[in-house]
Amino acid sequence: MIETPAAADEQDRALVQRCLEGQRDAASGLVDRYQKRLFNVALRMLGNVQDAEDVTQTVFLHAFVELRTYNPRYRFFSWIYRITVNEALNMLRRRKPTVTLEDEFDIRAPGAAPDRAAEVQDRVGKALMSLKPDDRAVVVLRHFVDFSYQEIADVLEVPVRTVKSRLFTARDRLRLALDERGH
Amino acid sequence: MLHRDHIELIHQEIDGANTPEGSAAFRSLVEQDPEARALAAELRRVAQVFEQVAAREPPPHLKQAILDALPPQARAAPRTESGWMTPGAIIRWFVFQLRLATERMEEAIMTKKTMLIGSTVVAAVVVIAGIVTGFPPGSRVAGTIGGVERAARYQGRAMTQADVTLQNPEIQALFQNHEILRLVQSDVFRQAMASDAFRQAMASDAFRQALASDAFRQALANDAFRQAMANDAFRQAMANDAFRQAMANDAFRQALANDAFRQALASDAFRQAMANDAFRQALANDAFRQALASDAFRQAMASDAFRQAMANDAFRQALASDAFRQAMANDAFRQALANDAFRQALANDAFRQALANDAFRQALANDAFRQALANDAFRQALANDAFRQALANDAFRQVMANDAFRQAMANNAFRSLAQSEVLSQAFMREAMRVQQ
Repeated sequence: MIETPAAADEQDRALVQRCLEGQRDAASGLVDRYQKRLFNVALRMLGNVQDAEDVTQTVFLHAFVELRTYNPRYRFFSWIYRITVNEALNMLRRRKPTVTLEDEFDIRAPGAAPDRAAEVQDRVGKALMSLKPDDRAVVVLRHFVDFSYQEIADVLEVPVRTVKSRLFTARDRLRLALDERGH
Repeated sequence: MLHRDHIELIHQEIDGANTPEGSAAFRSLVEQDPEARALAAELRRVAQVFEQVAAREPPPHLKQAILDALPPQARAAPRTESGWMTPGAIIRWFVFQLRLATERMEEAIMTKKTMLIGSTVVAAVVVIAGIVTGFPPGSRVAGTIGGVERAARYQGRAMTQADVTLQNPEIQALFQNHEILRLVQSDVFRQAMASDAFRQAMASDAFRQALASDAFRQALANDAFRQAMANDAFRQAMANDAFRQAMANDAFRQALANDAFRQALASDAFRQAMANDAFRQALANDAFRQALASDAFRQAMASDAFRQAMANDAFRQALASDAFRQAMANDAFRQALANDAFRQALANDAFRQALANDAFRQALANDAFRQALANDAFRQALANDAFRQALANDAFRQVMANDAFRQAMANNAFRSLAQSEVLSQAFMREAMRVQQ
């Protein structure tokens, strides 16, 4: 059953409230709801499974410690995605400049054969990594999380026109990058 | 060349963001303009490629790892038997604490800039976390993993990028440092951080004072010391007041800066000694710590024989005794410690029994006797089984406690007896016979 945005927000609010009340299963519920989505955002941002895992854990740790500061008037997912994107950007900044992204990129499942799907993943991943991190964040939120311009603007705390500008520029670059890689 | 508004219209159509009027305008545009049509087709293709990329399942252990790292009151799953936090969670906690503390650290970092930029950056990680943020509290303390109380600072305002972004370049620089990463990723560091005893030690003012010292930071950069930190007995020792007091003491920290001492710290015998109350009691004693800081003692520490001796209860009892510690504070005695024969003697049961004996220790407190100890001939005698057997003998020890005997010991001629095994045996037999 597909959850409507309003129902999703209501579910988030209830889980957050229960977390704050110390109910032990609520944290687990929030992790269940968000770990896959956040892990995938981090993975697309970083191009590396281990780093994505680290960022996902850090995000939840940060979120739970800071949960009291979360204002329920705003959508929980905007808040937690913002933490995720910021953590991913932090990790990119911390990375040693000598590490080449080409070598780092590895998002295939362990042991997966280099089939068509894996090839697509690989090419998309490498094309994404060719973008500037801020532009990549917009593309990831738009194409992998399916956020609207407004939702992306809320997460990144930038105006909608900035979102559009970054997205359109990035997509143009991706178009060229994917062409170079045989798409 | 497409107009900017037209490009926007095409992108918005791909994103499903156009109003009905916008979509109508888009259809009209692509019908009339081949360039617009080509761009729309290419962008659709890009979007379709993205649609082919399936979401990846997170690693199966991720959820448990997340829950393990959460503040106890937020954690849903029961605590695992393996411990308070997983090693990965410890590291994340550690990194997280540094980030949370960034604002508070601004001033402190500036004043510690020289330290941070210096060669001891490895230790600086620990120093920063220990002094500025505090270390992980015990697992049974309600509302822990730091942060929860600290989070109250942020209450009443929404989280901003500053809260979740590592802003301080000094801290960023720390984590770009290979040595720091090596430290925080090392098994030794994780084990240490996962240890209750270590955390208890970290919570101590005396220990943190020690952390701030150059000598301790040098020690931290040393493999032998880190090995020692990975050891339970050593961590137990760190949780002990006497040890922490020792840590806060300059003489002890000077000792930490010495390789031989650190090698000793990493040795099983020393760690066993650390786990021993008598030894820790000794550490609380100034004279003993002075001894620790002396080259002779450190040389002794580097010796297997001495370390074997430290593993021995009688010897540790001796270490804890005032007389022995006074002896330790004495140059002649420490010189003796630097001597192989003496250390061999220390490793010898009979000699250690002697050390456990008040009379002998009284003798040790005596200058003349210690002079004798510093003498080659006497030490050779100590290397002699018969002499050591004699030491094990109460009567002989009574003799040693005797001023006249000690004066005799200070006498070259007397000591020369010991250079001959036959003579020394004969002399000891006679001496004992006379006493009986």
